[in-house]
Amino acid sequence: MDRECVSLLPRVCEVLAASGSSLPDDTSLEKLLDWFTEVTKAGTSLLESCPCLLEFISSVVHNTTLDPSILSFTLRLSGLVAVTEDAFTVLQQSSVLDLVFNLQHWQEAGLWEDPCIRIGWIQGLRTMMQHPKALGFFVQADFLKPLLQLQTDKSLFVASAANQMLAHVLLSCQSVSSVESNGVDEEGEDVGRSSGSIADLEYPAITVETNQDYAAVVTAISECLKKSLVPRKNSQLHQSLQILKLLALLLAQTRAPLWEKLLQMVADSVYELLAAGYSQLVLPLMDVILAAHSDLVHTAQSARVLLLPLDIITGLNLLTTTADEQQFSMVEQLKNKTSCISMICVCLTNTPQITLTAADCLPCPPVLIVTAVLSLLRLCSGDFSSSSSSSSSCRDVSRNIIGSSKVQKCALEALIALSGSPGVEVKLPEVVTLLVQYLDNPHSDPTVLHKSYQALVRWMSVCSDLSSITDQHRQDLLQVATKRSCDIRWEVRDSTVEFLGRLAGVSVVQTTAEEVSDASVALLGGCCFTTPLLRAALQDPESYVRASAISALAQTLAASWQQGAALTQEHTEIVNQLLEVLSRDTEGFARRAVVRYFIAWLSSRSSHSSPPPLASSSLLMPSVRSVLSRGSADLDWEVKVHTLELAELLLHEAFSGQRGYMKGNPTQTHPYAVIPDTLHTRTHNEEDVVGELNSLVQWGVVSALLSGLVDCDRPVALRACRLLMTLREVVCPLSLGALDATAAMAMVAKVTCELPGCGWAREIRKMLATKAKDAERGCSVGEVVDCDDCGEAGQEAASGGGQTPCVSVCEVLRSLDLDERLDVLTRSSDHVHNSPFSLLQDILTASSAHSQPDTQQEVIVDCY
Amino acid sequence: MKLYCLSGHPTLPCNVLKFKSTTIMLDCGLDTTSVLNFLPLPLVHSPRLSKLPGWVSKDGTINLEKRELLDLSTIDVILISNYHCMMALPYITEHTGFTGTVYATEPTLQIGRLLMEEVVNFMERVPKAQSATCWKNKEIQRMLPGPLKDAVDVWTWKRCYSMQEVNSALSKVQLVGYSQKVELFGAVQVSPLSSGYSLGSSNWIIQSHHEKVSYVSGSSLLTTHPQPMDQSSLKNSDVLILTGLTQMPTANPDGMLGEFCSNLAMTIRAGGNVLVPCYSSGVIYDLLECLYQFIESASLGTTPFYFISPVANSSLEFSQIFAEWLCHNKQTKVYLPEPPFPHAELIQTNKLKHYPSIHGDFSSEFRQPCVVFTGHPSLRFGDVVHFMELWGKSSLNTIIFTEPDFSYLDALAPYQPLAMKCVYCPIDTRLNFHQVSKLLKEVQPLHVVCPEQYTQPPLTQSHRSDLMLELQPPPMPYRRCSVLNLPFRRRYERVYILPELANSLVPSEIKPGVSVATVSAVVHSKDNKHTLQSVPKPPPVAPSKKRKRVMDEPPVVMTPKPLLSGAVPLEAFLATLQKHGITEVKVEETADGHILHLQAEDTLIQLEEDGTHIVCDNNEPLRTTLRDLVLRFLQKL
Repeated sequence: MDRECVSLLPRVCEVLAASGSSLPDDTSLEKLLDWFTEVTKAGTSLLESCPCLLEFISSVVHNTTLDPSILSFTLRLSGLVAVTEDAFTVLQQSSVLDLVFNLQHWQEAGLWEDPCIRIGWIQGLRTMMQHPKALGFFVQADFLKPLLQLQTDKSLFVASAANQMLAHVLLSCQSVSSVESNGVDEEGEDVGRSSGSIADLEYPAITVETNQDYAAVVTAISECLKKSLVPRKNSQLHQSLQILKLLALLLAQTRAPLWEKLLQMVADSVYELLAAGYSQLVLPLMDVILAAHSDLVHTAQSARVLLLPLDIITGLNLLTTTADEQQFSMVEQLKNKTSCISMICVCLTNTPQITLTAADCLPCPPVLIVTAVLSLLRLCSGDFSSSSSSSSSCRDVSRNIIGSSKVQKCALEALIALSGSPGVEVKLPEVVTLLVQYLDNPHSDPTVLHKSYQALVRWMSVCSDLSSITDQHRQDLLQVATKRSCDIRWEVRDSTVEFLGRLAGVSVVQTTAEEVSDASVALLGGCCFTTPLLRAALQDPESYVRASAISALAQTLAASWQQGAALTQEHTEIVNQLLEVLSRDTEGFARRAVVRYFIAWLSSRSSHSSPPPLASSSLLMPSVRSVLSRGSADLDWEVKVHTLELAELLLHEAFSGQRGYMKGNPTQTHPYAVIPDTLHTRTHNEEDVVGELNSLVQWGVVSALLSGLVDCDRPVALRACRLLMTLREVVCPLSLGALDATAAMAMVAKVTCELPGCGWAREIRKMLATKAKDAERGCSVGEVVDCDDCGEAGQEAASGGGQTPCVSVCEVLRSLDLDERLDVLTRSSDHVHNSPFSLLQDILTASSAHSQPDTQQEVIVDCY
Repeated sequence: MKLYCLSGHPTLPCNVLKFKSTTIMLDCGLDTTSVLNFLPLPLVHSPRLSKLPGWVSKDGTINLEKRELLDLSTIDVILISNYHCMMALPYITEHTGFTGTVYATEPTLQIGRLLMEEVVNFMERVPKAQSATCWKNKEIQRMLPGPLKDAVDVWTWKRCYSMQEVNSALSKVQLVGYSQKVELFGAVQVSPLSSGYSLGSSNWIIQSHHEKVSYVSGSSLLTTHPQPMDQSSLKNSDVLILTGLTQMPTANPDGMLGEFCSNLAMTIRAGGNVLVPCYSSGVIYDLLECLYQFIESASLGTTPFYFISPVANSSLEFSQIFAEWLCHNKQTKVYLPEPPFPHAELIQTNKLKHYPSIHGDFSSEFRQPCVVFTGHPSLRFGDVVHFMELWGKSSLNTIIFTEPDFSYLDALAPYQPLAMKCVYCPIDTRLNFHQVSKLLKEVQPLHVVCPEQYTQPPLTQSHRSDLMLELQPPPMPYRRCSVLNLPFRRRYERVYILPELANSLVPSEIKPGVSVATVSAVVHSKDNKHTLQSVPKPPPVAPSKKRKRVMDEPPVVMTPKPLLSGAVPLEAFLATLQKHGITEVKVEETADGHILHLQAEDTLIQLEEDGTHIVCDNNEPLRTTLRDLVLRFLQKL
């Protein structure tokens, strides 16, 4: 903990204990608590480092006239302080603890009515409940009863906190007792809690005693669950709802044997609830069933319940037998539009999970479930031709989902997830037919279309064997993709373009040749179909679509890049078009995508094993050069960051394998870390370095990095700074001493780059000039080496106008104080403002302003 | 109150309402689907069509049977709700003895006239040398091939009217504005309300002092160009006649518009032409507006759009001058001032060009690929026939159907085999079942009358129970030639009372807040208005010896007998009887009151709530005495 903060804390405590009304703003207490939590998590004992807190707590607890927010804060703080056993003992011995959590105390003061006191009490207790002593305290004080009452508190926050707390109590009982049993077995199994000391010899008596406590708590809670689960009258519905929520929470987190015990206790009540069919309770009940699902006996049962709505609506016999009353009650539920839609959605969300359970638990094979989802999707679009249910009640139910985008989206998501289920590949043709129908349907919502595309890509990638896809499918898909690329809604055009790109990334096996190709080729005939569509999309008025088109082009062309295919006229045209976009487009998205396109191209080239064909290179490198110059001059910071990424790629390509080159962030490596041998053993060929550095300068990489360094956007400057440091480590590490130390170094030092007289270069020159001045004063480091036709030093370069002076790259790298700059850049701009010290100071200032009303100035808080 | 249903077509209704001595025709839509049974009328000789095998019969004169549900000459007024629903007007107002008035809004009249002119023009420019009617005879029709044999009501098919008939029919139209109240013979008041479907389209309220009938025809809740629908004025109707719902309940107009645009763009990008068969007014305005926005985004800036119709120019210009009939957005544009529809800009920038026909200027400026909007949507006549012949053979071209009135497959039949792509995006902005059930919930009419088609799901989608009207009480369905007795009885009539007569009345209060007076007066009825006037004093007997005419005889004035009110209290009455020496009274309680048996006099007195009877045989003095005793307890008016 910061010493400065510790010194301020006593005064802050005084201020808080005196009155809370003078706080700078209402988040201060939360911030303070956050800071304390952080400190505690870091392993510092609050009580040891700030003894004033004990005094603060005991004084506040006695002063019930204080602002409730301060009291609530104190409750939570007490819990936090008592989180360690030692501190807990101290608090208990000073009899503060008993008073802090004494319900009667707060009730008598008339403060219990305030929900912030109640929530403070719950949260304080909850924070404290990390060790058996706290649990013992909890049991002895008999807090269980009030906690159960708070579960149905009129404040939702309090009720939910109480629920969480109950779950927490039960869970901590579980972990403690399991530690206990393990301790007996002498098995040091890790139970996820760091302190195995609970069963230590130090507290043998307590352990036995607390163990009984745990049992009592567990029994009490589960008794209560059992008792309150089924509402006796309508007014108790809320209680049942809360209990169900708690149960779902518990079942999801507890383990055997507690889990089994719980389930055993409540099973009957849950069945009773199921049969009673309270409409308000259906959804939480489903949650409980889902949470109970992990056990085999109940899996079959819950799968049946979850599949029932699907069974009823589609009329497919998913469940061979169903109790009539269960079916009837479900149909009644489904006749209500709202509950029908939410129920179907819950059902759909869980179907994929159901298909993954053991085959003997499944009421029907996964294929049938896929059939049902497909049938449901058909019903949603008003197509009843395949529906096998004919009863009027089922018709009443089905009409609720016609045209519902929500159900359509859920069903499509389910379809996506179901693609991985065993044995569903046979459904591929049917799935494709349906998805194409959805894509063609003029009434499909843009989000539904998006999901349909996703589903199509997903099924293509899972079922890599496309032999079952007919020519008709291909033709339909071609038609529909063309149509959708002209859609009136940009979202749809965007999804379409994205889809075309994604498809190119999926590799599949075609029937005839057994050749592996990408799905775009297999389904749409590849580039000859997609490229013209994508090129047309480059003209789209919506920038998102243009951006997606550019990335899709990159995905489509990736194959030809990797194969090193010869350049086509079309390719050249595309590149020109993209460069045009980079310099002309008004929107950042499209320009970012262009830079990413070249990154993809360049990296596919670098990953390519054989040397790149000349033709491709002849187009790529000049374009990369213009991308670097245009990209680093862009107004959008993300474009600039992407440009730096491109520069990094070039840097990597030039120096990977050179000594001193480390990909990524050089500062992230620990100063004492062992540098891998490979880096040392590589021969350090100075001539290579000179050559590479020269080409980097020529491509504009160095200019891009330097302009990035002085950029006003922090992420840009930070990245540029790191890359420059990497470069420095390779070409002229500071550790090697003066630049002319060796002949080779002298050669490297001769490599120069231009610093034109405007913009970023002027900034760099100014920095160099300042550095040179300092150097003169301090009389160290070498001078700036200029090329022949320019002046002597950086100063002159800085003042020199019209000409384009050159400077030595190494000299620049060494003189720029990159390390110091990195330090500044890594700090966030609000690091001062957000520090705990500043918070404490604010509280003190506000209180002094408050206590001296004459000098008080209106503090205007900007809320936006 | 009766409703005669002359049309079975739910969107082209023609109903006659008899209400309080008036006969009102509600719309007269013309179902032109029968033209699909004919071959297209090409402007130039078409060798393909003329080579089709023919069927020849000798034409003679056979009197076609006539079936009339009611005499059209008895119709007092015709209310027109929109320009699509008035196309049969000349058939009704001409040569039938019709002498009434037609009410319509100005845009309805003007655009209706354009549509009629267009049809007449299309027909008259390709005159037929001969005509035959004999085949309409049932016996002969039965021998005809194919679908013609099965066509129903062929006898009702008529020749197209002439321009002269159109002019004569339209001269009977009287213009009305929204919410304007028009008195019909003092009996009922009719008033058009904005229906939101097309320029000047209206629903009608027909009401008397105590009854209200609403007539809802083509209406729309979508935000298109017309003024929004006035829903609140439909409230409190006794009967709501509901027609003109969307013909495409499963096709949402927005989706169709999107489909239209993407297919159009797709075709143009591939180098093909787009043909849009459409009416010259209505949805085309919205299509042009949508395309105006879409052109840029789909990079169609250089593609020419042609609108070819004899009335193209007038239609485009009329739409711009009816500002007061447009939606709020468009109205405000007029004040800027800007043309309310963006097609003005399309014309200015030469992106949209319009021509009266394919002759003349068009043929010299025609450039492909292009988009052509032209009529008639049935593909049987008009310039569209020419384009079908021109473009039908290339698979690059696309025909996009936007009008829902004709089955596109039937429309295309005579052009088969066709290489051209066909896209069906019917755009029908009229109310769908969801919207109408919401509307009815809002306005809560006591009874709903609608075409029988709306009371069951469409035939092709029998499981879609959401595509029908479900109301409580269920709607009264009608079909062609139905005569419905509308389910409400008129109970009240308003009668005015003249001030001097009112002055002479002497009301007496019979219970707090209720006063009663007797009135003697003469009812004077004129123009369905009833007035109570004082009874004229008998003129002094004329000394003339002229023969009196019965009519001149003034009514005999008699002072009316006083009216009695009140109840006879049993105890008090018994006491009074006793006072008058009648002591032996046996009281018997009945359901309505009491029976008093005066045993000595052998007389019965029945005291009931609404009457008192004294039954005594041949004892007039006793009866009179008893009567006077009873009268003592009653009030006289």
